[in-house]
Amino acid sequence: MVDVIWVTMPFLLAGLWITIKISLITILCGSLLGFVVGMLRTVGGWAVSTTLGLYIHALRGTPFLVHLYIIYFVLPATGISWLQLEAFPAAVISLSLYTSTYVAEIVRAAIEAVPRGQSEAARSTGMTALQSMWYVVLPQALKLMIPPMGGVYVIIIKGTSIVSVIGIAELVRAGEHATQRHPKELMLIYGMTALLYFAYCYPVLRLARWAETKFGSVRLPS
Amino acid sequence: MDWILDFYNYRVAIQYAPEFARGISATIWISLVSLVLALTIGTAAAIMRMSANPVLWRISAGYVQAIRSTPLLIQIYVIYFSLPALPLLGRRLDELEGGIIALGLNAGAYMSEIIRAGIESISRGQIEGAQSVGMTYLQRMRYVVLPQAFANVLPPLLGQTAVLIKDSSLVSFIGVFELFGAGLTVLSERLMPNEAFLTVAVCYLAIYWVMLIFSNFAQRRLGGVRR
Repeated sequence: MVDVIWVTMPFLLAGLWITIKISLITILCGSLLGFVVGMLRTVGGWAVSTTLGLYIHALRGTPFLVHLYIIYFVLPATGISWLQLEAFPAAVISLSLYTSTYVAEIVRAAIEAVPRGQSEAARSTGMTALQSMWYVVLPQALKLMIPPMGGVYVIIIKGTSIVSVIGIAELVRAGEHATQRHPKELMLIYGMTALLYFAYCYPVLRLARWAETKFGSVRLPS
Repeated sequence: MDWILDFYNYRVAIQYAPEFARGISATIWISLVSLVLALTIGTAAAIMRMSANPVLWRISAGYVQAIRSTPLLIQIYVIYFSLPALPLLGRRLDELEGGIIALGLNAGAYMSEIIRAGIESISRGQIEGAQSVGMTYLQRMRYVVLPQAFANVLPPLLGQTAVLIKDSSLVSFIGVFELFGAGLTVLSERLMPNEAFLTVAVCYLAIYWVMLIFSNFAQRRLGGVRR
């Protein structure tokens, strides 16, 4: 049993490294996209915010697995050359789109949680709407966004397990390969995989809870 | 019109309509059974988490942490592949049972946190009032605390149910037939990913839309009950 741990650990760690890579790229791209969507939804007009609301509902209403299959299998069927995605970009793009819906809701809730008096006071000192958003509202809203972003990061980490089905050798896939080499130690290998996920997610969850006590948090619409 | 048929041949989708319909009903059925399981586990875990007994609340807290920091896919694999024959059943779980138990355990952890918030939102006076009319602990929970707690947290519970319905797509990987499995069937039989997965997406959206209507209705009905 100790042998098996010794032999499979490097495989699993290589898988964990890919999981980390995907989740880091995704949190960056997904947050940026989500930030833009959330901001546009707050400050944009009726047409913009309805369209973006539909975008969020469409992505929230379908499983991530379906997004992944649509981006990996359906987009190439359009025949457009730049939509023929490899597995890795397909995984990162679909996860980022999925993440952006969560981030957009957080951004909107945080901006709306900043008291109206703040932006009114800023406007009355002669700031433009943009200035008041940039110098007064956003700095306060950003703090409120930090704790729920920890939760989103954990959702991404767990979401990366699903991209194993399009053949990316991340942690779950590495675990599957290892079970094929040592079928008798299946329980042990899946247990190790689960432990590695735990080791990655648990500190993030703790950090998020610490941030929540420090900065306070926003209540998200469910 | 040819380019539409090229990209999305609705005739294939119609031909497979019975398959998709079976998929939708399987998804709803699996989600309902998992939901009942999750609510049971969630309520038990929430009550255990609030107990003064350190063993009880540690077990509950550990369960919630373990579920929250591992992916559902791994939980499904562990439960389906790794559980040895159960003494009660005398055999291994089949894929449907394994999938439902994994989904129920997963959603139960998230729901226990929501239900705990609901129980904590009940004011002390309610419990004292129930005590003063001579109710036992179980009676207090059953008739006074839990009904109000569930009414208070119905919106987040419905949100978690929507997540559960979406998550149920993952059990297709251990061979359970449901909506996503119907899409996989079309893909493997006709090699038509567009007809398969765009239709699946629309079906999931339809389920989600019904959930939204139901959730708005429930919130309006319970508007008076909330604090």
